[in-house]
Amino acid sequence: MNKKKSLVFSKKVYAFLIPALVLFLTFWIVPIIQLFYYSITNFNGTNYNYSFVGLKNYIRVFQDGSLINACQNTIIYTALIVVFSNLLGLGIAMLLNTEIRAKGIFRTCAYMPALFSAIVVGFIWSYVYMPGNGMLATLLSFCGIDGNKVNVLAGFQSSLYGIAVVDIWKNFGTTMIIYLAGLQTVDTSLLEAGKIDGCTEWQLFRLVKLPLISATVTINVILNVIAGLKAFDYSFIMTNGGPGKATETLMFVIYQMAFVEQKMGRASAFSVVSFILIITVTVLMLIYMNKKEVEL
Amino acid sequence: MKKVLALMLTSAMIVTTFVGCGNSAAATEPAATTAAEEAAPEEEAAVDSTAEESVEETTAETSAEDVYDHTALENAGDITLTMMLSGTETEDDFDTKILPELVKAKWPNVTLEVTKLPDDNYYTALKTKLASGECPDMILVQPKYAGANGCYNLASAGYLAPLNDMDCMSKIGNLSESFTLDSQIYGIANGVSILGTYYNKDMFDQYGLKEPTTWDEFLNVCKTLKDNDIQPITMGDKDQYVLQFGLYQLAAAEIYSENAAYDDGLYTGETAFTDAGTWDHVLEMYAELYDKGYIDGAASMGTGSSQAIQQFIDGEAAMTFDGSFNVTALCAEGTAGDFARGYFPLPGDKGVLTAEICAGAGPAISANSKYINECKELLDYWYNGESEIWDAYVATGKYTVTYGNGSDSLNALFTPFVDLMDAGQGYYWCNQAWPSGVAEEMEALFYEHVGGQGTTIEDVTKGMQFKFEDLSEE
Repeated sequence: MNKKKSLVFSKKVYAFLIPALVLFLTFWIVPIIQLFYYSITNFNGTNYNYSFVGLKNYIRVFQDGSLINACQNTIIYTALIVVFSNLLGLGIAMLLNTEIRAKGIFRTCAYMPALFSAIVVGFIWSYVYMPGNGMLATLLSFCGIDGNKVNVLAGFQSSLYGIAVVDIWKNFGTTMIIYLAGLQTVDTSLLEAGKIDGCTEWQLFRLVKLPLISATVTINVILNVIAGLKAFDYSFIMTNGGPGKATETLMFVIYQMAFVEQKMGRASAFSVVSFILIITVTVLMLIYMNKKEVEL
Repeated sequence: MKKVLALMLTSAMIVTTFVGCGNSAAATEPAATTAAEEAAPEEEAAVDSTAEESVEETTAETSAEDVYDHTALENAGDITLTMMLSGTETEDDFDTKILPELVKAKWPNVTLEVTKLPDDNYYTALKTKLASGECPDMILVQPKYAGANGCYNLASAGYLAPLNDMDCMSKIGNLSESFTLDSQIYGIANGVSILGTYYNKDMFDQYGLKEPTTWDEFLNVCKTLKDNDIQPITMGDKDQYVLQFGLYQLAAAEIYSENAAYDDGLYTGETAFTDAGTWDHVLEMYAELYDKGYIDGAASMGTGSSQAIQQFIDGEAAMTFDGSFNVTALCAEGTAGDFARGYFPLPGDKGVLTAEICAGAGPAISANSKYINECKELLDYWYNGESEIWDAYVATGKYTVTYGNGSDSLNALFTPFVDLMDAGQGYYWCNQAWPSGVAEEMEALFYEHVGGQGTTIEDVTKGMQFKFEDLSEE
């Protein structure tokens, strides 16, 4: 017996998927497959007379200390971004969700840094951190502290934190917008009921609002984890991985291998390893956050 | 219906995948791998014999000709030659505006199309064009192994045509060595670039200081300045590459003056970065400048190269290590007014004076160009030292030329360096002979050392050697 044909969604419509699928395959799936392919060659990006080297690139990636150093830096950077971007984003979203005057202007201002390109933000903050005449040094001088002694980007211990601050400053606006959207879905009658029951503001937040926006928290945390693990812009623009190797992240090392050392094969192997690491961390975080959502 | 559709989509995916993979192989004109090799990745992929033969034929053909056709352009009919360079286009740019006009005036049947791209874009575009077999007729190449467009890498991949039979080679002389691989010249040097020590002559005069000729004298100069509350040297160490500006001067005096074939030995295993009394000695000497505060490491590592130049012209420091390519910026007027500048090569501790002077990146001809002879004729005219194109090229002030018109009006700051080069004491920049990435490793480890991160000089040389062996491996 023939099934009834849908009048709304004809099967011919599937044909329209083909152009999109072809584009997706050509510019997304095929390059990823090629990444795996090049990771077992000694391709240098220029000379196509390359050979297959088996797992040698992967062995070198693990032998070379750069993976460990880059992983450490990336994890610290990611932790900073996740914690502070979410705290700042949630805090400001809660403030801007209250009935205050000109909150539209404040919301726009808070989101403004997210509109600038990373290059612009990197250059601006290079001058903020500049010793001697930079904004930070000048402000400290006003407070009686010698601004010349504060050199954030030159310090081996401070430079990574310095560029993480820039990333947080630029991107907390996006986190805030998502929290704001989440907070606006909280039913006011629940908050009123809590108040009638004698809840303090902290209890309202902890026991009513937070459980209701737990899905939003999950999204923001995961997005920030992914952004942190893929960090490249400010290491490249503001410190070029330095001083020494203090701000080399996973993505920065891949760039160095591919475009400075001309080891495209090795960089592909490094990318595959990073890809697996990022996927693993993201999936584990997602599982953990989903469990937390249920507990809340 | 669903099955048919699913089958179609699956077929499309498979075809697209193979087409995608196939493209990379098909684009590998100079040395492609065959489809059979792709199907058996566990086997070592041999070079496609046909492609290899075609490269060999091109090389043999060009080498066999003692003299190329010097009337190729006149007899070519209406043709368009293409050229791709790196750099920033300026108003009335020589490469993109003046050069094509002068070529048109000389050969009305020839149109020269020049594309100039910022460095990073240039490297990407060059790789893409080489891979797709659409390389412009002429491209900019760097000496030896320097950068992604290093002459040796491109020549050994069969992308460049030999230029031995060009007339201008006799005038360029020794500078062509940096573009020579297996006795074949693959690029034309664009004048010379120098590394040296700029200093404030007025400050030196004020404290009765003279240009030092030994390392001890140099340290004394620094001490005198520091004792008088003047910062002796400013460096923009936030841009870590500036380490090379001072370090290579010392390396020339301490290592290369004694063994000019030091870098060749690195490839054969006769020498190593870890050899006692070579790079360890040079790095220790340079680190001494940080230890004694002659370079303020805490400040310099947060200062960019352009900021360091500004500090020098503002009179905030007496010296800086920099190149001839930054002479205009370093001689500009700052808040310290128009003080007199000097430029000297950093002396070694044995009192040997050497010049870090190298051939500038210049044009090369693509081996796959249809117009190899035409390009040679054009470049020969350009670099003959007396043509209109040469005069316009020199007039840009960007190039320090060593022959032909303009060589007699060399900036006085550079004369001692050219004299040293003529006396056989000129050495190329060290990193040009190393695979790209070794210098970056050296910089990162050295700054860890002076930044007190527990990295020793021995760690630096070991790291350099490890990186060198790793990157020079085929």
